[in-house]
Amino acid sequence: MAAPLELRCWGGGWGLPSVHSESLVVLAYAKFSGAPLKVSVIDNTWRGSRGDVPILTSEDNTVSQPAKILNFLRKQKYNADYQLSAKQGADTLAYIALLEEKLLPAVLHTFWVENDNYFTVTKPWFASRIPFPLSLILPGRMSKRALNRILITKGEPPFFHLKEVEAQIYRDAKECLNLLSNRLGTSQFFFGNMPTTLDAYVFGFLAPLYKVCFPKVQLQEHLKQLSNLCRFCDDILSCYFRLSFADG
Amino acid sequence: MSLVAEALVSQVAGKVPFIHVGNQVVSELGPIVQFVKAKGHSLSDGLDEVQKAEMKAYMELVNNMLLTAELYLQWCDEATVGEITHSRYGFPYPWPLNHILAYQKQWEVKRKMKAIGWGNKTLDQVLEDVDQCCQALSQRLGTQPYFFNKQPTELDALVFGHLFTILTTQLTNDELSEKVKNYSNLLAFCRRIEQNYFGENGKGRIPLRLA
Repeated sequence: MAAPLELRCWGGGWGLPSVHSESLVVLAYAKFSGAPLKVSVIDNTWRGSRGDVPILTSEDNTVSQPAKILNFLRKQKYNADYQLSAKQGADTLAYIALLEEKLLPAVLHTFWVENDNYFTVTKPWFASRIPFPLSLILPGRMSKRALNRILITKGEPPFFHLKEVEAQIYRDAKECLNLLSNRLGTSQFFFGNMPTTLDAYVFGFLAPLYKVCFPKVQLQEHLKQLSNLCRFCDDILSCYFRLSFADG
Repeated sequence: MSLVAEALVSQVAGKVPFIHVGNQVVSELGPIVQFVKAKGHSLSDGLDEVQKAEMKAYMELVNNMLLTAELYLQWCDEATVGEITHSRYGFPYPWPLNHILAYQKQWEVKRKMKAIGWGNKTLDQVLEDVDQCCQALSQRLGTQPYFFNKQPTELDALVFGHLFTILTTQLTNDELSEKVKNYSNLLAFCRRIEQNYFGENGKGRIPLRLA
């Protein structure tokens, strides 16, 4: 427990501690569980890494991927779910699967595939955070990987055209947002008064969508109509990440 | 698998004829459920909004974990591929089509695994994921007869279809079915559905046998 935990992740903007969903999930969980993380934001000194960012290092352990990082933190006794019942633990897994299957494709599309968004916002942002020549290669690679993921997992018959796939994934994402809003209701967090793993995941996926200013915003517009989800994100930001907001 | 699950849905809906769907892809219940809904029946009509959200979430969990694990085991575990899957998949076709199609399918599945982050998983990690998923399902089911108490829903059909496939499909090792067998309420759930909807004196068309 005394070993220092260092997290390498993408940096923040638009009032968020990180604009990258997976990094944000880990940051939020660390705050909720009280894990003392030394956060190292990726900048011009970065030389690339073997694994995908976010990456947690501790003494001789290196862990990547949010699910594995959270597991690792739990094993180190930083557990945000200790008050949950077995059924609530099971519900957590199920809702995370729902997020990954129904919401993530549209979030990836909004950031990395939609041309206006990618070329005017996402690509310049990421390219400005990493040194040359990575800045020429990495954003394109991330964009291709996002498109691949969408097409391979969602592009099966009866969809044969990207436009049809796009329409479906946005439909799914809007439905998922509605389901989340229904499930949250008027509670502060998804399982009562204490934030848990599920809250970290929902926050991680929703907050960038909510706050980052894009030219093409259909999903964002839908999210903004679900006031309890917006309130949920704002509450977490003000309670756990006391940052002063830049407007817009 | 999808045929089994779809058969269950049509049995439970009762008045709808069984529709033969040639699609072998093990994914959503799709066609039959849509057809049943269009006829005015939906298995999840009695659920409230929060329960419907839960049901959809658990269906995604099953698709995410169980379906992917089944695909992994069939196509990414070299022992299974070599001994069983390759020849079973290519069986209807003449040489060399049988080999070509099997390799193509394997390549497609591996590509999908890589895209969703399962590319580097070992068999043990996959089995652990299956265990985690079964544990979640077992905890959600508890002592109830079905996932949403008295009436079966699409979730019950989906879970039954997958668990039944895992328990009865022969692979090179039994580890996958052993994981499921660790959860007695899941086994009882499968037996109950088999007996009620596919038993000899039941209304079933497909004779199923659970070991």
